Amino acid sequence: MKKYRAVAIALLASTPLQALAAPIHAILYKNPQCSCCELYADYLRANGFDVELVPTNDLAQISAKAGTPSQLEGCHTMLVDGYAFDGLVPVDVVKKVLAERPAIAGVALPGMPTGAPGMPGVKSGPLKIYAFTKDGAPPSVYAVE
Amino acid sequence: MRNPARTYMSRRSVLRAGAGLCLAAPALIGARAAAAQEIRLTARPGRVTLNGAARETIDIWGYDGLAPGPVLRVRQGEPATIQARNQLDQDTTVHWHGIRLPNAMDGVPGLTQAPIRPGESFTYAFTPPDAGTFWYHPHANSLEQLGRGLAGALIVEEREPVAVDRDLVWMLRDWRITPEGALAPSFGGAMEAAMSGHIGNVVTLNESAQAEQPVRAGERIRLRLVNGALARIMSLRFEGHRPQVVAIDGQPCDPFEPAGGRLLLGPAMRLDVLLDMQGEPGRSYDVIDDFYDKLSYTLTRLVYGAEAPVRAHPLDAPLALPRNPVPEPDLADADRRQIAVTGGMMGGGMMMGMGGMNGMATPGMDGGAAWAINGSSMTGDGQEPMAPLFAFKRGRSVVLAITNQTAWWHPMHLHGHSFRVLSRNGAAVPHRQWADTVLLAPKDGVECAFVADNPGDWMLHCHVMNHQASGLMGVVKVA
Repeated sequence: MKKYRAVAIALLASTPLQALAAPIHAILYKNPQCSCCELYADYLRANGFDVELVPTNDLAQISAKAGTPSQLEGCHTMLVDGYAFDGLVPVDVVKKVLAERPAIAGVALPGMPTGAPGMPGVKSGPLKIYAFTKDGAPPSVYAVE
Repeated sequence: MRNPARTYMSRRSVLRAGAGLCLAAPALIGARAAAAQEIRLTARPGRVTLNGAARETIDIWGYDGLAPGPVLRVRQGEPATIQARNQLDQDTTVHWHGIRLPNAMDGVPGLTQAPIRPGESFTYAFTPPDAGTFWYHPHANSLEQLGRGLAGALIVEEREPVAVDRDLVWMLRDWRITPEGALAPSFGGAMEAAMSGHIGNVVTLNESAQAEQPVRAGERIRLRLVNGALARIMSLRFEGHRPQVVAIDGQPCDPFEPAGGRLLLGPAMRLDVLLDMQGEPGRSYDVIDDFYDKLSYTLTRLVYGAEAPVRAHPLDAPLALPRNPVPEPDLADADRRQIAVTGGMMGGGMMMGMGGMNGMATPGMDGGAAWAINGSSMTGDGQEPMAPLFAFKRGRSVVLAITNQTAWWHPMHLHGHSFRVLSRNGAAVPHRQWADTVLLAPKDGVECAFVADNPGDWMLHCHVMNHQASGLMGVVKVA
């Protein structure tokens, strides 16, 4: 992780993330029976991520350890460069977090809304992505897609 | 089993079970005490150390303080009374899963009896009509009470003993243990309820995780598998062995070797298998559960002693168990009903039936229902009054066509009756399989038939406890 982080920080100074050649390493913990996580992983790969899928039945504990509040818990938890991404967070938001490096534990898109990455259908409304911390403060809206 | 006696609750049952715990000649199995079938059982907190690979000592709630609770043995066709005492700090009941008993003995609070209050007791009295492998567990606050350990095997012995060398019960379940080595205090949030349920990270066989099972070459074992987990589905493979399924959910079937040697066991399901121990003395063989993709693990290991085989060839006794007196449904004149299971996470349009997914909500996230049976959702323990899904005329044959319209597995359990599983996805189900809990894969359709001969209001629900508590439950009436 450290290596990727160093590379990312070094490159961030000069290059927009989209243009990076080196993939961003992500570990995606998923329910072994959920297939939308695989579609989400494909979506991330197509957007320059190197995704390691780890099936687990212990997602609740992994998600809790990453700081995700239970009411925001998504169907999977992804760890990238020190941040947690819970649920089907759009790639632009992932990259925004990695670029801005806010003082948060991670962000979450709760539920599995139609039209979100990895889900079929069209969006029925804007997707609200929430930021959360580990200090017990209530989640706040980080991005609206 | 490291200490078999601790799983038995009374001296009487120890005596009755004793013959099954040593390498006895077939004739000894089923040696019985003549005592009246009066059993006492207390639901109370306890503390257990998981044997085997996991060494955690965890706080549990258990029958007689044990997890699993004592193996209860009663005799087919003879009255049994079981006094259940509640030493928990909340209401409880005991459900005798799979037993065709009078409605008032079924143990569903608010439906068949008043809950047993803390400090009080309730005496269950019934005469089990069917021999076989059953189990008992609470039906009050089931997710937490079963989750904390309240469950045990209930064996109804055949009138004539079955010729095997040993009769073993493997009560299987899992526990979610925290990094600090404690039992995780929650048994599932909204997300787990709308997905595969609360699955643990330590699997135990009786009281042990990954402990060895000593066996002897040449012996025939009747192995009673009980899945007492909240949500974990198992697919067991016995390396180097060919288990024959002889009963499902207590009801004998035509003996068969399952496809690929895999024994599929959803929550609450039981399988009786006969195992002829044809391995080599001194060798050991893994029993593997590989149900979840890439999460296969070794449940236990069969370890052969160095002694010479008990016999040169497998026991020359029939595999088939004597049939139980379950009435055959009349398929030509049956009351045919459809059951559609809907809800849960994933799968696009399905969730719309659960109140919509307007960009934010997870089904059940607001404490409401995540699942439905025919569009209605009974939640919690189901105490709130709710119209029955169906009313069947007593004595009428019924065919239930159940379709799983979700992306998740559901073991569907009907109380008070055993049913014949007729077909799965349009194909006839072979080997005369009866059940009380039928496992549906995502998108599966099964047809089940039974004679609605047991009057009363009966639960019909998914036995993934998180699913049951969040709407996958209803009532059928027989009158």
